[in-house]
Amino acid sequence: MFPFKLPPQILRLVLVALAIVGSYFVARSFLTPPTFGQYGWYRGDALQLIASREPVFAGKQSCDECHSDIIHKLEKDAHKTLSCEGCHGVSREHGNNPNILPVKSTGNYCIRCHEANLARPAWLKQIVVKDHYGPKCIECHVPHQPTKTP
Amino acid sequence: MINEATNLVAEALPQVQGYVYPNEANFHPVWSCLIVIYPYITGLVAGAFIMASLVRVFNVKALAPVYRLSMLTALAFLLCATLPLLCHLGHPERCYEIMMTPHLTSPMAIFGFVYAWYLMAVLLLELWFDFRQDFVKWSKTTPGLQGLIYRLLTLGVTDVSEKSVRLDMKMEWILSIVGIPSAFLLHGYVGFIFGSIKANPWWGNVLMPIMFILSAIVSGIALCVFNYIVLTWLRRKTVDMRCLDTMAMFLFYALVVDAVIEGLDVLHRGYAAEEGFAVLQTMIREKLFYTLNVGQVGVGTLLPLVLLGLLQLFRTRVPEATRRVMIFLSGAMILLGVLMMRWNVVMGGQFFSKSFRGVMSYKMEFSGQEGWLLGAVILCLPPIILTVLVKLFLSESDQLRPCEHPQPHVSKA
Repeated sequence: MFPFKLPPQILRLVLVALAIVGSYFVARSFLTPPTFGQYGWYRGDALQLIASREPVFAGKQSCDECHSDIIHKLEKDAHKTLSCEGCHGVSREHGNNPNILPVKSTGNYCIRCHEANLARPAWLKQIVVKDHYGPKCIECHVPHQPTKTP
Repeated sequence: MINEATNLVAEALPQVQGYVYPNEANFHPVWSCLIVIYPYITGLVAGAFIMASLVRVFNVKALAPVYRLSMLTALAFLLCATLPLLCHLGHPERCYEIMMTPHLTSPMAIFGFVYAWYLMAVLLLELWFDFRQDFVKWSKTTPGLQGLIYRLLTLGVTDVSEKSVRLDMKMEWILSIVGIPSAFLLHGYVGFIFGSIKANPWWGNVLMPIMFILSAIVSGIALCVFNYIVLTWLRRKTVDMRCLDTMAMFLFYALVVDAVIEGLDVLHRGYAAEEGFAVLQTMIREKLFYTLNVGQVGVGTLLPLVLLGLLQLFRTRVPEATRRVMIFLSGAMILLGVLMMRWNVVMGGQFFSKSFRGVMSYKMEFSGQEGWLLGAVILCLPPIILTVLVKLFLSESDQLRPCEHPQPHVSKA
């Protein structure tokens, strides 16, 4: 029927190759997520999945409901653009139930922004911590009103 | 999460010097020590294959005793080539997705195609044709599980007639011819990934793929030298000095070309002195001083060049035992030097700020996903796989037996 016959080892390799390619396409039909490519080169469902995640931040407005005196002070001084939760930790649960305290951040919050770094703009006040006085910033500075002294 | 991220910046600051953008002050670079091991292993694969093709394509008969060992070395290392990448992924369990939804325009995704082509269409096929005759023979004489493995590997073809064996030889020759550009493609691709990053003066360089290929050939031959000497020592056999001297000769020539091209690259960068050159000088003089000047240039290039060069000049006057030690040491030093070269390329490009006015540091972790312990485990895997392959497919009598298949005549093929 065929004009030529494939040698046995070549024929076997062709069959193995076909089996591999075939099983790849079968696997692909099962393993490709159905919504893949819906919007682009990713799973369309991923957007919903990300959107469904519970937010952890409460936002400044929420803090304002109970701590308006502090927010009031803050907004009149240099730190007015800072978010409360940047230093005090994520607070959504605290907002819903004041008995649950915010997740306290670790580390020194002040030097996150004020440690000297050439990459920071020159107008931002910067210090070299090891040359600067004191183990505690709040002994001399008021975080909510940085231009005032305690 | 936000707290963790912001705290990291504060803690990472002492590790940077000069003008570094805030998003560059991370604990460790994005491409860590695992990404150093990835081009190292891939290079060893390409080099070992090119070493084997010297026998098949260029008909260097003296190297016949190491043909199969080189091919099995290439296979053992190729099987582990993707492991560093896999461990580096944030979600290793999703790795199959790259194959289910292959991307045709992403340079990084192309590795899937390059790897699959090289493993399935070149290396495994050539090994199968080379071993087919033996599989049939061993499947008839070996009992138990090992015999079953041989029977499975014959794929049910037991024809070992003269005509059939001649066809095997012809196929092997064709596959070797296809394999050489494929091996160049495999490692040239890795060089391309770095060389195509235009914004990074340490990487963005058209010579990068060529330097990667040449260092791959050097490291591959060095690995075959290393493996051959270790295997003969383990099996208490005598080393075929003609074969070892020829390997040393090719290693020397490859090392000369590699060193010249890499030196040319440095000279060219120095003379052109483009805007990023000042920070590259800091890399060479300070950040990478030990791994580049001492490791890559001194231990990995100059010392082996002197040792191997002396052997080329005074081969007949040096006793065999001394020659063996000199070649073994050269091979080991080159293997170390090429690992340093990969480190210098991968890390060097991440040690300086994109502003070219500041530098970062990297202290390797011991454990964890990016730790050096995992890197060491991955580097130990290929030799373990190779031991199993040698045990299965390279019987003691085969070790020093010259390759049985004669080279098919090109005109007849």
